This record gives sequence, C-alpha cells and structure tokens, in this order.
Amino acid sequence: MKKNLLLPLTVVFSMLLVCSCVKDVDFDQAQNITLTPVVELDLIYFNLDAGDFFDTISNTQRLTVRDTTEIRFLDDTGVQESLKRAEFLFNFTNTINREFQVEFQFINEMNQETYYTSTTVSAGNVGNPVATQFIENVEGPEILELTMADRVVVSVTVETIDETVAGELNLQSKTTYYLEIKDRS
Amino acid sequence: MRIISIFFMAFGLSVSFAQNKQVIYGLDEVPQSLLLNPGTLVPQKSHFGIPFLSQVHFNGGASGVSTFEIFGNSNVDINTRIREKIFEMSDKDFFTATQQLQVIDFGWRSQKDIYFSGGMYQELDFITYFPRDLAILAWEGNRDYLGYEFDRGQLSATGDLLTVYHFGANKRISKKWTAGVRAKIYSSILSVKSTNNRGSFVTRLGDVNSPNIYEHLVQNADVKVQTSGIKSLENTTAGKVVSRAFLGGNLGVGVDLGATYEIDDRWRASASLLDLGAIFHSKDVEQYHATGDYTLDGIELIFPPLSEGEATLPYYDNLEDEIERELPVDTINSGYTQLRPLKVNASVKYSFGKYLGGVECDCLDKGGIQRIQAVGFQFYSILRPKGPQMAATLFYYHKLYKFLAAKATYTVDPYSYTNFGLGVAADIGKFNVYLAGDNIFHYGNIAKSKSVSLQFGLNIKIDPE
Repeated sequence: MKKNLLLPLTVVFSMLLVCSCVKDVDFDQAQNITLTPVVELDLIYFNLDAGDFFDTISNTQRLTVRDTTEIRFLDDTGVQESLKRAEFLFNFTNTINREFQVEFQFINEMNQETYYTSTTVSAGNVGNPVATQFIENVEGPEILELTMADRVVVSVTVETIDETVAGELNLQSKTTYYLEIKDRS
Repeated sequence: MRIISIFFMAFGLSVSFAQNKQVIYGLDEVPQSLLLNPGTLVPQKSHFGIPFLSQVHFNGGASGVSTFEIFGNSNVDINTRIREKIFEMSDKDFFTATQQLQVIDFGWRSQKDIYFSGGMYQELDFITYFPRDLAILAWEGNRDYLGYEFDRGQLSATGDLLTVYHFGANKRISKKWTAGVRAKIYSSILSVKSTNNRGSFVTRLGDVNSPNIYEHLVQNADVKVQTSGIKSLENTTAGKVVSRAFLGGNLGVGVDLGATYEIDDRWRASASLLDLGAIFHSKDVEQYHATGDYTLDGIELIFPPLSEGEATLPYYDNLEDEIERELPVDTINSGYTQLRPLKVNASVKYSFGKYLGGVECDCLDKGGIQRIQAVGFQFYSILRPKGPQMAATLFYYHKLYKFLAAKATYTVDPYSYTNFGLGVAADIGKFNVYLAGDNIFHYGNIAKSKSVSLQFGLNIKIDPE
C-alpha cells in the first residue's frame, strides 16, 4: 500500500521541484521602499559674556560678534536628496540687559548665502534670566537652498553697550532632520 | 533598494538546504551521506562522484521573515510591512546563505575492508544576525527613542568562501560498531567576521550641566571586524583569487568523527561531529577594532576676535579629530584563528517490515540486516556566533525497490514548525542519482517559505557482487 502511495508521491515531488515557483509577489515594490528616519542632533552652542561686546583695551564697542562653523554633511549629496524638512530649535537664555539680533547665514563653498534666518533675543537681567525660543522650520523649495550650504555664519548684534553692562547670552540648539531615503536610480 | 530586493530574492528563492541536511543524513544509498557521518554504513564497494555534480547544494534562510511577507501582493504598504517585521523580529533572528559544490568525490573499499573516501568541495557560508536596534535606528531615527540605548552588540555576522580537501576512512569494527574519521584541510579564499561586539548609542536630554539640548553618547564601544583575503581584492587578479582555492589561501585543519551502533536488527543509533577545526588566517589579513566612549554635544562657538579676512577656528575639523581620538579605529594586520562552525548530528532508527530481498540475511554484508521500512529521530546542531542552532527531525524511510529508496522528514528548526522534506535515491545501473528537498509543501510558492531546499547529485557507484 505504502509502495503504491510513495511512488506517485515521489513523482509528484520531483514535479514540484521542477515546477516550483514564486507566486503572488511583486519585487517592483522594492522601488517603493522608503526609510523615513527622524533624526535629532545637537547643532551649535555658545556662551557670550557681555564683555565680549566691549573691547576694554581700545574702549570701543563690538556691536556685532561673528563666528562660522562648517556643517559639512549638510551639502552631502545623500542629504541633498533625502532631506525633506529640517526644524531648527534655538533656546536662548539672556541675563544681559540688552536685546540682541541673532542672524544665521548659511553659505556655500563659494561664500554665497543660500539660506538666511534671524531672530530677536529678549533682554534679561543678571539674576533674572529671560528665555527666548526660536523655531525655524525649513521645507519645500527652501530645503534645497539650505542643503546647498556647508557652513553657517552666526552673527550676534547689540544696538549699544558699555563696559558696565554684565551678564551672559547663552544659546543651545538642535536640529530635527526629517529624511526620506529611497532608491532614486 | 535594488540591493534589498536582490537580498530578499536570494534568501527567498534559493532552492536549498539550510545547513541541516536531514534528508541525506543516514540515507546510506547516497555516497555523500558519508560526508555527514564518516561512521555511517557504507553498502557500496566504491563510488566516484561525477565532477561538479556529485553534490550541488545552495542554501538560504531567514528565521524571522519570508519573501512573501515583504513582497507579497497586498493592500498594505510595503513600508508598513517592513516596519512591522523589524519590530516583530528579535536580535536572535538571522539570515543565512550556504552553498556547497562537490568538485571531486570518490571512495573505495580496501582489501582490509576499510572504506576510504576523499575529495574536494567548495563552500560558501554566510550568516548575519538581525541587528534589530540598528534597524530601528535606521528606519525610525532617534527622535522617538530619547533615552533608549541602541545596542551595537547586536551586530554579528560571519562570511566565508573556502575550499575543503578531505580524506576519510570508515570501517565496520565489530558486529555492532561502524566508525569513521575524516581529516580536512581548509583553504580559505575570503573571510569576514564581526562577532562579540559591544557598545551602545543613546541620545538623551541634557541636564542642567550639559552644554547643549541633547547628549549623544557612544558607550563602551568595542566593535571588531576581521577580514582575510579582502584587502588585496582591489589589486589582485582573478587567477590569484582562484589559486587560494588550491591551497594558496589561508589554511586550516579539521576533523570529522562519526559512528553507528547497531543495537539489534531493528534499532540503530548514530552520531557525528563535523568540522571540528580552525582556519589560521595569516596572509592578507586586516582587522579593524573600534573602542572607546564619546559624548557629542554639538559645536561650541567661541567668537574669537578676528582681524579682517582672518579665518575662525576649524570647529568641524576639530570635532572630527576629537571623535577619531576618542573612538579610534585601529587597523591591525596580525593574524587570527577562526573556529569552523561545529556541527553535530545524531539519530536513532527503528527498522520494521519485510527484509530486503525477502529473507533475513546480511545481504550486503556491510550494512547489517536491512528491512525495507524504518522510522526514526534525528538531532542536528550547528555552532553559530550567538550559540548553537538546533533542529529535530522525525523521519520515515522506505526501500521501495532494490534500486529505489525514499525518505520523508518532518523537521522543527528555527525557521518553522512545518518543515516537511522528501528525498529519493536511485541506483540505475552503475549510476546513483539522488534528489532531496525540504519544505516541500512550499514548492508551490517558494516565496512563502522562510527556507526552502533542494539538493541533488550524481555518482557512479559500484556495489558488491
């Protein structure tokens, strides 16, 4: 009996092996695979003293202080293709009795400005820090401008100051990068 | 993404055995069962495998996912399916690919009744565990995982391409015992290994003392990648790579041991230990070792007073230098020893039914008294980077005719609880041909299987007169 069953089974099995196939699958869907990670990353931070805005040697005001750092990954081809939105969060804490204008100039390798944003930081008091939060959301066509840049120039400007002014201006910042990574070939 | 689809196709479509060759094990009609147990019962007088055709075997398997689950026609978006799978799978899940090709295989019975066998086969063996945390980090990012420690230790993979030269002896040493041993020389062509890694990555909100909003911490990093035969690939010729297959690569030695014990004319037990050995990588070796701890806070601007045109500090370069200093990646060219994945097979078999040829006799004089049917249990284990992977098999054997034997198996392994296999071996004249596969009920649609297999071979076999 078993012999009678096994022989046809063997034939069927062999046929199965020969005829085995892959059904009901669509490998073209691979084109639609999209990774959408949202990455939180610290950006820059600084701690400016009121004295940084006044040159005691020459007894003159330095109404604008400026510094630059590269953000080399920003104009990376992969980031240019994948970054859909970037949300910058700047947290200022000010104990200087002055209002500040803070500018962020994103520039490319040719020193051309590709993206610009700025904010006003409220005045505070020594012993009474005042927080200013600034959120800059970049998406759509602006994201292309942002990702043309590979560095940011930060300028902090005060209208007037003298050597008697004390306190600190502190910045903490981060960026939330919304990426969309997929096969673009 | 094309790579991803090829990856899934490779794992889903390869018609092959997982490392476990449960259908061939103990199927004495197939000369290559000697390679699974050098102490198996050898009925034939001699055999000669048709070069490149005596055993062809590809393998693919994924313990946690099938091709169909990702690429099946469905109304659910493929990205949703992938995301669900990433969270469903654990870091113990793995993807494997194994392929073997017998180049030469032969054996003969000496006048002292020892069955000598030898040959050469090429093997590709690859396994990677699913680095779940890193997959989540890549798929989701870190925004929703503040404070969560992503484990880099989940990164664990090995890959080997090698040839194996082997020579063994098998002898029935008493009425009940048959034992065998096989010596092996491994010639490694390419090898990559990254196991026993440690370390974590976490993004957490900074406290009052933190200079910035977050702290990105790499903690206790200890990640090692060992390669051999890879470094010179760019500047070498195909001929040189091929020469490594012919004992020109990094060499190793190993041994297979096996025995069969015939308890009585119905019960039989057997066991084997395969690839007890190591490869000593000394040529074309490159090891990378990253260690350390680091906390990233972003870039601190210090607004130095500058003259017109004077450049500010190279903050970004300094940051990169600092990371390289704190998390150094050492490149080491010293050799290393790599253990082969040790495999264990064991079985108990109960024979019943009529005697082969209709009478009780040790007709073949080499394989004990044979009945035409048998059932049994088999155990299989392979030592992998994160511990042994095991499988248990129930089987039914039936010698249909003197020239045709079949074996059906049911296996429980890390891939599934529904793995049914079937193998047939036929002696047609002096030709011995066999075909075996597991997960046979998935052959209608291989995509739905987590591992599917097919193994076939062709030998010239000379039986005793």
